[in-house]
Amino acid sequence: MYKITIDGKELQAEPGSTILQVAIKAGIDIPHFCWHPALSISGNCRMCVVEVEKMPKLQTACSTLVSDGMVVYTNTDKVVKARRGVLEFMLINHPLDCPVCDQAGECKLQDYYLIYGKYESRFREEKLKKRKVVDLGANVILDTERCILCTRCVRFFNEITKTNELGIFNRGDHSEIDTYPGKKLESIYSGNIVDICPVGALTSKDFRFKCRVWFLERTPSICTLCSRGCNIEIHHRQGRIYRIKPRVNMHVNQFWICDEGRYGYKFVNAENRILKPVVKGSSGLVPVEWEVGVIDVFMNLSAIISKYGSGSIAVVASPYLTNEDAYVLMKFAREVINTENFGYLPARRGSYDDFLLRAEKAPNERGLLNMGWKTWGDGAELLREKINNRMIRALYVTGGEGFLSQVKDVSDLLSILDYKVFHMSNREGEVDSINAILPSATFAEKDGTFTNFEGRVQRINRAFGPVGESLPDWKIIKRISMMFGKLFPYEKAEDIFKEISEKVTSYKGIDYLAIGDEGVLTDGI
Amino acid sequence: MKISFRNDVLKEAQRIISLYPRKESSLLPLLHIAQREFGYISDEVEAYIAELLQIPPIHVREVVSFYTMFRKRPLGKYHIQVCRNISCSLLGSDGLIDYLKKQLGIDEGETTSDGLFTLSTVECLGSCGTAPVIQINDVYYENMSREKLERLLEELRRGG
Amino acid sequence: MELLLTKRFSIPDAFRIEVYRETGGYRSLQKALQMRPEEVIEEVKKANLRGRGGAGFPAGVKWSFLPKEKKMPVYLCVNADEGEPGTFKDRYIMLKDPHLLIEGIVISSYAIGASKAFIYVRGEFLDCIDTLERAVKEAHREGIIGEKVMGSSFSLDIAIHRGAGAYICGEETALIESLEGKKGRPRLKPPFPAQKGLYQCPTIVNNVETIACVPYIVERGGEWFANLGTEKNGGTKLYAVSGHVKRPGVYELPMGTALREIIYEHAGGIIDDLRLKAVIPGGSSSPVLTPDEIDVKMDFDSLARIGSMLGSGAVIVISEKACMVKTLYVLARFYAHESCGQCTPCRNGTSWMEKIIKRVEDGKGRKEDIDLLLDICDNIKGKTVCPLGDAAVMPVESFIKKFREEFEAHIAFKGCTVSYEREGVLNV
Repeated sequence: MYKITIDGKELQAEPGSTILQVAIKAGIDIPHFCWHPALSISGNCRMCVVEVEKMPKLQTACSTLVSDGMVVYTNTDKVVKARRGVLEFMLINHPLDCPVCDQAGECKLQDYYLIYGKYESRFREEKLKKRKVVDLGANVILDTERCILCTRCVRFFNEITKTNELGIFNRGDHSEIDTYPGKKLESIYSGNIVDICPVGALTSKDFRFKCRVWFLERTPSICTLCSRGCNIEIHHRQGRIYRIKPRVNMHVNQFWICDEGRYGYKFVNAENRILKPVVKGSSGLVPVEWEVGVIDVFMNLSAIISKYGSGSIAVVASPYLTNEDAYVLMKFAREVINTENFGYLPARRGSYDDFLLRAEKAPNERGLLNMGWKTWGDGAELLREKINNRMIRALYVTGGEGFLSQVKDVSDLLSILDYKVFHMSNREGEVDSINAILPSATFAEKDGTFTNFEGRVQRINRAFGPVGESLPDWKIIKRISMMFGKLFPYEKAEDIFKEISEKVTSYKGIDYLAIGDEGVLTDGI
Repeated sequence: MKISFRNDVLKEAQRIISLYPRKESSLLPLLHIAQREFGYISDEVEAYIAELLQIPPIHVREVVSFYTMFRKRPLGKYHIQVCRNISCSLLGSDGLIDYLKKQLGIDEGETTSDGLFTLSTVECLGSCGTAPVIQINDVYYENMSREKLERLLEELRRGG
Repeated sequence: MELLLTKRFSIPDAFRIEVYRETGGYRSLQKALQMRPEEVIEEVKKANLRGRGGAGFPAGVKWSFLPKEKKMPVYLCVNADEGEPGTFKDRYIMLKDPHLLIEGIVISSYAIGASKAFIYVRGEFLDCIDTLERAVKEAHREGIIGEKVMGSSFSLDIAIHRGAGAYICGEETALIESLEGKKGRPRLKPPFPAQKGLYQCPTIVNNVETIACVPYIVERGGEWFANLGTEKNGGTKLYAVSGHVKRPGVYELPMGTALREIIYEHAGGIIDDLRLKAVIPGGSSSPVLTPDEIDVKMDFDSLARIGSMLGSGAVIVISEKACMVKTLYVLARFYAHESCGQCTPCRNGTSWMEKIIKRVEDGKGRKEDIDLLLDICDNIKGKTVCPLGDAAVMPVESFIKKFREEFEAHIAFKGCTVSYEREGVLNV
């Protein structure tokens, strides 16, 4: 270990690390644009210059390796003047359109200007005209006038996805970022370049002009679109999601998320959200109060039990359930309905790659296995057989949308059954033959945990809602169970997790509140 | 349209590639050959060279746009490049540029309507001892004066 | 004085290997191959041979920065991207005495342990490329390059690489990038090329003139070479003189020859016997000198002492007929044009300076422009990835410092007050 001094603070520094790395670790802010922890060092913005004793010139903190006994100053007059100079240079050709720029509020140029800039513009010449509102495809819009040519986006495609989709053309102050002519961004990780763009040069089509960023609340969560469990932040306002951003977790997704996850949140605030319980009457499906819905389900299930026995009811878990939902649902099947016919419908399989994207398009299949669930088969074949044999007369389904879309000839299958109750968040697919739909909350509206494909338990947090009168799945089950005379004593997801951590071997000793930003790795299946 | 080198040119290209420990090092020389063969570096040429060297086409395009000698458009039969840097400027290159503009009826970067001349100004050609210097296609013309230029233009108009 | 680098300039057909050999060529190589590589490096160190490209870094010291353990191949890159405005010396070496360069390359490669050398020639120099290609072929044929150089166990290949129009490729790491088939964007340093250069392997980049000195150093010893020049500035130097002189051209003179002597004796003085107004002593980026400074000795240290630099040794002579504002504009335009665009201060600073100086030149200057220019210089100087930033700043600072009244007059009288003609002095 080296000893170095930054602004009078004595610090331990790993040999081979840079001044900037050491400073960041010590909580010392050295402004920078082009440096990004996941990308190669480019040293082009020149914003991170610092003064180092015994070195005549200012040094870029991002590229200067520490040496033992090094003495660094990050805020001398010389440094501050250099930073002001860099900002002034960047702003020469930069439009002053912060009032209409989506980046305003999270723009490094704007932020640093407020600290180091604030001068009368000395630029009397004509600004360079460059291309604006360039559609790069993949939801990204480029404004080359706002670009400060830090090359983060170029390096992202060269080094992270290795798809080489952006280049810098021409030279000098005519340099411009672009795709190859006629080509659009194709990488499913393209959205990340909007995140790493330190200014408003790259903006998201999806988010453009939707909301000023300072109005947004941020809630840490986990992406539900595949089993990777990428760490995300939900940016929302007044019960509506405006965008999804990646959250750093070096063990899971590093700094990135794929576009499926980034833009796959629309169902949360979709028009077709089911806001109230719906039961089938003589005139079709009608919305009812929860009390009415719960009694209806209870009466119908009871009737099936008394007619065909409790084993004639099958319970279907969904890989979209949290561990807490899945745990309570299991108890419901075993202790409330008293059936051995319970299983889960596996996640839909889709495209995958060797980076983040996993084939299993749901967040918690591993968690279901951990909670003791067995599969009904990829297309619920085992279930189909039992239905066809008339062994099963009624279904209790969670994640109903998945069931309707994944099970082949689902209407025919359902028509055989006497009674069907589904938990659903969105009204999708052939729902007419369902007897009761209980509105479930989405991941954005509840607390709980998911266990990703490698066994990492990670927390999701309620951002808002739930929407309408929907409820987390476990709360719905709790209400139904109450009718059966079974009282689940859980008030919040944490209570259920506490029980899980006592009962499920591989989760032994995990404290819900202590599950941090990295999650907790478990090993058992 | 798919473009490719003739066999003999391809051989020349392969010989050049073999001079380097790494293929991609031959990008600049190969682009020179392509420009000689096809007149300019079209998008098709970029794609072809990229394929030849197994590098991303966007990389070739970045390079083409960086170096001033590579052209994205066809030029006139005679590309007149007038040095405008210090030694030439001290010895009258501005006057030569004005003269050429007037004589040819075109501005910098333009080509005469008969396709004969393209006029460019360039930075130092490294021949300052014989300033002012102009370059026509690959050849330097040194110690230029208006009179010499007049005769040269006439010769070129008559077909070189 | 005995001519070395230009000795064959007046010999007809000296570019042919027979003529080269008849006039003593390739004897140094033979001698070098009898020496140990370290001994060659030692002689070059003793010679005080300083980089002729502009930086003036001692070549022998540069060579000794190579890693001692040879885990990776070592490359020699000869910088023939002669592009510093005012400079035209390397072109003549390549055209008139290509084998001198080749002999220097073979000896230098032997000394540093390179088995592959590249000559990076600026793209416009097609005549040089042709001459070098021919010379390399001849050398190959005669066993001077290729497998087992002159029967020794040392082997070397030389490839000639044609650039494509980018001044910045004269910067050694940009040259390396360009040689790798990329845009010429300079690398961050450290690591220096001697550690990680071409293909991340140890690499030495030397200027043509530097390498051309090596055969003489080997032939007659480092001490002899060192004694030709001044203290710490060994050898002769090619001074390329251009601008308002009667006899522009390349003059080989002892390192440290007085600037006055170069201008008035060798180059014949100012055309039309006009008055001297200014001299740029070492290529366009070296700070300009006034007539009362021309007794300076033209070596790296003497020029540094008076706040300028020897650079490439290209002397640009400016007479009273030239407008300093216009001349500075030409240079500012050049640096803005040649900025690679990588780092902020150079990319935006050079083009901003160009625009301001143009405005002053056009008679639309404001009083505050002069100090603004100096402050922009301050914000560029020492803050860029490569030396191009400093190169762009030095003319601006020095022109303003030494000819401030001319700039002020331009602003006050809204245009040029010098009887400068657009035709240039020659046509007056």
